[in-house]
Amino acid sequence: MNPAIRTEGLIKDYGRGARRVRALDGLDLEVAHGEVFGFLGPNGAGKSTTIRVLLDQLRPTAGHAEVFGTPPRAGGPQQRARIGYLPGELAMTGRATAGELLHHLARLRGGAGAQRIGELATRLSLDLDRPIRSLSKGNKQKVGVIQAFLHRPELLILDEPTSGLDPLLQQEFLAMVREAQADGATIFMSSHVLSEVEVIAERVAIVRAGRIVDLDDVATLRHHAGQRVELHFADPVDVGDFDGLPGVSDIEVADHHLSCLLRGEPDQLLKVAARSHVRRWSAEDRELEDLFLDHYRVPVSEEEVTDDDR
Amino acid sequence: MTAEQRTMPSAGALPALRWVLRVQRRALVGWGIALAGVTALYVSFWPAMGETAELQALIDSLPEAMVTAMGYDAIGSPAGYLESTVYALLAPILMLVFGLGLGARLIAGEEEAGGLELEGTGPLARARLLLERYLVLVIAIVWLAVIVGGVSLGLVRALDMEVGTGPLIGATAGLLLLVLAMSSVTFAIGAATGRRALALAVGATVTVLGYIVDALAPLVDDGAWLQQLSPFHWYLGNDPLNEGLGLAGAGALLALTVVSLVVAVVAYDRRDLGV
Repeated sequence: MNPAIRTEGLIKDYGRGARRVRALDGLDLEVAHGEVFGFLGPNGAGKSTTIRVLLDQLRPTAGHAEVFGTPPRAGGPQQRARIGYLPGELAMTGRATAGELLHHLARLRGGAGAQRIGELATRLSLDLDRPIRSLSKGNKQKVGVIQAFLHRPELLILDEPTSGLDPLLQQEFLAMVREAQADGATIFMSSHVLSEVEVIAERVAIVRAGRIVDLDDVATLRHHAGQRVELHFADPVDVGDFDGLPGVSDIEVADHHLSCLLRGEPDQLLKVAARSHVRRWSAEDRELEDLFLDHYRVPVSEEEVTDDDR
Repeated sequence: MTAEQRTMPSAGALPALRWVLRVQRRALVGWGIALAGVTALYVSFWPAMGETAELQALIDSLPEAMVTAMGYDAIGSPAGYLESTVYALLAPILMLVFGLGLGARLIAGEEEAGGLELEGTGPLARARLLLERYLVLVIAIVWLAVIVGGVSLGLVRALDMEVGTGPLIGATAGLLLLVLAMSSVTFAIGAATGRRALALAVGATVTVLGYIVDALAPLVDDGAWLQQLSPFHWYLGNDPLNEGLGLAGAGALLALTVVSLVVAVVAYDRRDLGV
């Protein structure tokens, strides 16, 4: 069976001549059928460009992209009928109500999913009778989410799906994603925040400057990112006690205070720390941005990955 | 037939067209009322203005070149009056303002606003989406031309003006073709570039140049060939309200329309959208 999404050496340039900008620089990607795949990267890394190539809004400068085994342009309307898409930038204006717009979009799909509009609107608590132009960003995002899920597509391509949704609705959205997956759909979602996709994605690709710089399952990625651990002691501590502990790096000791980066189990670090009087401690998951910063700087050996806590 | 083709539902009858018409319905009604009003106002002045000799006397007192440029040569006759006021002046100006604006908005304007992203990623081919939106332009311009023609015909009959029904219908068809051709040029530039302001600027420039050339070429020695290049001449050159629409002119306007549409389809199908 063909993968749901595959790109090979995908290159996309915007503009011409001196103003030419390379948005994608040889992007390789493969998303299997039935997978929930996270597509992570900072703004401007090429996430939306990749997605808009898959939907045939943009044409590749070079390289290859396919959806269900067919390039988007050749796949045409038949291919897009099998995809549900939530754009990253939703522009919706006009006097029409949310319900009218959703019925229109369903009609474009031959009426597929029109009977689910009411049900999904209730689930996300969207008022279908409000004019679109009077909707808040969050409510517009609900319209976008609903139209993507409406026709029970085989492939959901969601660009920053949770932006603008409050935490309660994010939970409802995640439930919808899980249901779609249970029905056999493939889900490809982008985000610039790791925590947004890690609860649901099985594999995550990190894109930076138009290339995939990391591709792993979520646990491994989380291990790469590690935690920033801060310890405050009653008495000054010796940095030598902490040097060389498994998974511990970037140790900084200033008088009573120790800060370090922890990848993997905290067991050894805590045992060593417990020899002294610990006044306060904290351990925070690091943000994706930090991961980009030290992605090439800190090599993580194979052993470290395999004997971690997953 | 593959499994996916079997399960793909048909898209229904012209869904994109119906949606845009629905969104534009207020504008269409508003412009229809405005054109009906302006046409009725000017035609109903005829008994007060034209039937007395005063208007012709006024025209006679103006410099000949100015009269020619303004197209007022025959304003003293019913057909000349109808042409000078409505068919060669107010109706084309109003309809072109509307048609060029809509032509630039239907693809380029919507695209710049991001409004085509959801429609364009649905299961409609690009060419299909473009043609449905183009049909909105055709329907809107036909609607306005029918209003101008209908109100004119009604008042011509009511006021017993000596204007033939055949030439009046021909002139109305010419008006329709002129506005459609220039709006199609604007639509095509918008579809090819995705830039509304550019489409509007080029469309308006071509239109205004065409108008100026048609008006001033007769004043220039050997200017006749220049006049042949003007879409306004294609429309008005045959003296349509007396003689009916000229076939060559109608053909030229139609050709410009068809070429624009082909360019629009081909260019829109090839380029990146929403960049």
